[in-house]
Amino acid sequence: MNLRSPGPRDTRGLRRALLHLVLALVAALYLSPLVYMVSTSFKTREGSGSTEPQWIPDPFSTGAYREILTSADSPILTWFANSLIAATGHAALVLVTAAPAAYALARLRFRGRGAIFTTVVATLFVPPVVLLIPNFLIVNELAWVDSLPAVIVPAAAGAFGVFFLRQFFLTLPGELEEAAELDGCNRWQIFTAVVLPLARPALVTLFLLSFLTNWNDFLWPIYVLLSPDSLTLPAGLGNFQGANSIRYDLLMAGAVIASLPVIALYLVAQRWVIEGISRSGLKG
Amino acid sequence: MTGPAPREEGAPPAGGDGRPVTVLERPGRPSGAAGPAAGGATRRMRWWTPYAFLAPYLALFAVFMVLPIGFGFWTSLHEWDVNLPAKPFVGLENYTELFDPSSVDGGRFWLAMRATGIFTLFSVPLLIVLPLLVALLMNGRFRGRNLYRAVYFAPYVLGVAVVGFLWRFLLDGNIGLVNHYLGLDVQWTTDVPPAWVALVGVTVWWTLGLNAVIFLAGLQDIPRELHEAAMVDGASAWRRFRAVTLPGLRPVTVFVVNATILASANMFGQSYLITAGAPADQTKTAIYLIAETGLRQFDMGTASAMSFILAACLMAASALVFGAFRDRSAR
Amino acid sequence: MSDSFSRRSFLGLTGAAGLTAALAACGGGTKIGAGSSAPASAAPSFSGGEYTGPKVTLDYWNGFTGGDGPHMRAMVEAFNKEFSGRIEVRNITRRWEDLYPAMPTAIAAGKGPDVAIIHNDWIGTFAARRTLIPLDDVVGALELTEADFIPAVWSAGVFDGKRYSVPLDVHGLGDYWNREHLEKIGLSEAPADKASYADALAELKKAGIATPFWMPNKWPAHLMFMSLLWQHGGELYSEDGAKALWGSEQGVRALSWMVEQIDEGFSPPKVAIDTQYAAFKNGRVSLTWDGIWQINDLKANAPSLQWGLSPVPNIGGTPAVWSASHNFVLTSQAGKDPNKVQAAKAFIDSVSRRSTEWAKAGMIPARNSVREDPAVADLPQVGLAKDVGVFRFLPALPGVGDVQSKALELAVAKAVLKQASPAEALKEGVATADKLLADNKRKYGR
Repeated sequence: MNLRSPGPRDTRGLRRALLHLVLALVAALYLSPLVYMVSTSFKTREGSGSTEPQWIPDPFSTGAYREILTSADSPILTWFANSLIAATGHAALVLVTAAPAAYALARLRFRGRGAIFTTVVATLFVPPVVLLIPNFLIVNELAWVDSLPAVIVPAAAGAFGVFFLRQFFLTLPGELEEAAELDGCNRWQIFTAVVLPLARPALVTLFLLSFLTNWNDFLWPIYVLLSPDSLTLPAGLGNFQGANSIRYDLLMAGAVIASLPVIALYLVAQRWVIEGISRSGLKG
Repeated sequence: MTGPAPREEGAPPAGGDGRPVTVLERPGRPSGAAGPAAGGATRRMRWWTPYAFLAPYLALFAVFMVLPIGFGFWTSLHEWDVNLPAKPFVGLENYTELFDPSSVDGGRFWLAMRATGIFTLFSVPLLIVLPLLVALLMNGRFRGRNLYRAVYFAPYVLGVAVVGFLWRFLLDGNIGLVNHYLGLDVQWTTDVPPAWVALVGVTVWWTLGLNAVIFLAGLQDIPRELHEAAMVDGASAWRRFRAVTLPGLRPVTVFVVNATILASANMFGQSYLITAGAPADQTKTAIYLIAETGLRQFDMGTASAMSFILAACLMAASALVFGAFRDRSAR
Repeated sequence: MSDSFSRRSFLGLTGAAGLTAALAACGGGTKIGAGSSAPASAAPSFSGGEYTGPKVTLDYWNGFTGGDGPHMRAMVEAFNKEFSGRIEVRNITRRWEDLYPAMPTAIAAGKGPDVAIIHNDWIGTFAARRTLIPLDDVVGALELTEADFIPAVWSAGVFDGKRYSVPLDVHGLGDYWNREHLEKIGLSEAPADKASYADALAELKKAGIATPFWMPNKWPAHLMFMSLLWQHGGELYSEDGAKALWGSEQGVRALSWMVEQIDEGFSPPKVAIDTQYAAFKNGRVSLTWDGIWQINDLKANAPSLQWGLSPVPNIGGTPAVWSASHNFVLTSQAGKDPNKVQAAKAFIDSVSRRSTEWAKAGMIPARNSVREDPAVADLPQVGLAKDVGVFRFLPALPGVGDVQSKALELAVAKAVLKQASPAEALKEGVATADKLLADNKRKYGR
């Protein structure tokens, strides 16, 4: 299993070539559905319903994009804006609330710290399904149904952000903070001027993960957002299905639009996302 | 990021919900008293400072995490329709009805629990073994490694809405690519067992990369010296895998198994979008039924009761996984 | 524990009430449920014609996502032009299956429609949920009388002695056929009775159409079943809405006929959702029962297909076909603003008067007198309405939608998928339905 095991040079080269072949084949297969999604979004209505697979659209058409961008029933630009506001707002809220809380739990001594930390962490074990119905009712009590706060705020109560940042704060050396304290900084100044800059990698990762999760969220928005103007992109996509006929050209164009921001983010910040996720499982 | 909504994905969300992350904490460190610098950092501080740091988060935590757990249970003791003024108290009736398989809701609920069970049973082993294989293949220093890793992980950054609609298209019985290239005439979206194959397959495609990168990180944490020592002892690759790699991966594996079970048991979007529960509600999962009962038909009491029963089952499953891994380590 | 220990006091007990209130301030959304039931319309009663209040915007929800959509949009645009500067109607179209669950919540939250189109069988449910306000005066102003309507359509709009709907149209199932296929076996129209239908299918099979008549197990399978049930002389529900009657021997015969189409090899087993219609468009299916509103879709999206439309064949002995009607309703959301109520009534009044235009969307005008108008009499679907006595409707019992989806549709699907025999599937389904009917009586009777 160890690919660096010593052995005769030629078998090692052969193995490596074989490895590349397998990995590349699987990778091509892996991406092909996404390629077909993009391809279909540039087809005509007839082309998208053809029984013969067509990888290169013929005729090539931007009609699907023009149709969805101007559709009166499915204001996709509004959905895009809603998704952007919701995901950014949610990620910001997670950082703003989780970072100070995590810092207090990691560094400050106070009465009740153990109990609070245990309670917060215990909710990581609560299956989120039990929150679905009551949170709908609570959001309704708050008069947030069908508005963006409903998709921004409740999810920020999750314990993951606090837990993730606390584990990171614990790894920071304490000397800098002590030095700042000797300089006469108060706790808040230490937190904002010393700790947060040091924690930038963790904060960026948490922001990205929160943004992605919120951007892609489906189950909650489809039930809590009701009128066409308030939908987020994933919740709105279904609108491109007509009465017992699905316009796959429109649906795929909508899917491409819904995927572009996260794909772009992924290409730019791939390392942060992957490292963040893999590390979140390992070191907390 | 634990949301008000159960995650619909077939694998843990980006650092998400119900993650038993604490398992992997360094043993022996009392959770509350951690922090290397905790000692010196408490001198000049007003007594309320820590609470002020905690307050914003705890406010959210109280309203959207603690309150709903109690409120949900309270709802489950009522016949609760948000649109009707009367919400009579019915005690445990919602529960007794669900445990009566001959009742309307009981029958539907256990059919949905069965669907969730089938999906979990078939998706979890695949989502452990395949990602582990991928991680082992990529656990070396060779060119393009990061590119492959990025490619395998890529589907996971897409949302279930995109994945669901895309695969419904590809799996379409008439115009779908899948039937075309496999030369089959299978109704992937309306017939069981093909629908299960489709749902599990789509989920594996979507979330394999997630578990793979977690395994990969775990592999890289295994000290190189252990491998080298084993090699010096003349252990075969297979023996080294058994004696070094697998034990080294144990904590990661506990985490991945647990997170994957929870995520699979929370499967919603794939079935909602690809099969719509077809045929005859056989692929309608428990979460799907809970959402439909509570938020479409507004029978919120029954839906809450369902979610507590499902939650109890999930917690029991988690306990079993922990137990199984603990036993093995004790032996 | 009693009712008086309400959800509010529960919130208070947890000490979070203050917090929730504080959070509510930054919402901008709305709240539904308790206390939001409609105030009895404070608007003056409507006597037709003009709207004189200040300028209002009305949200108008409907589910016309198919070929009917553009026609409705054109009618709304015409109305907006006519009332420009006084009333603006925002046309919002979502699929019916998304629209119905969202509507009661959205209306109560003030984010839903002021005026909407709903099907006849939903009127009872929505009226019982207090999401609608009565329209007796509009009916008076339009001079609509029962005599001008199919009785079932007319009576569906009455709940607790008040009228909640203005019927716009009638639509139902028709039998679409592939002209090329039927010509192969020497037919110029779809066969009209059981024996000739079976003969034709056998002939078509011989003529090389492997599976000429695909039997769906999802939509519109339940509509086919209901049509066949009525044809065999069966009934859906008892008058008082307490018992499901579709498990009768007539029901078994109706469902058995559907299953036989698969046994005879006329249909493949386990047909995927909507594929019977897609296959018809592709020329792989000779006959398919579907809604008459598909006329526009076929014209637009299968231009090369030669097709015809006939009434659903009489399999059971008595001609009958599932039908439904689209109805205007005024919601309790509009009810909070007397001007909106007046404006909405003007809108309903105006659009109802143009039902001939709506007929071009593939619908059959609800009013008997309009159907005789030469402008619509020649439309293919209006031909299906020569004898409106064959049109049968689902009763508007509160909660009937749940009963249909949890019991009847499931039973039909199970039998067609061969998971159970027709008799077993129906027996099980009726048991479920009876329980749900009893629950609904309790729930909506409060």
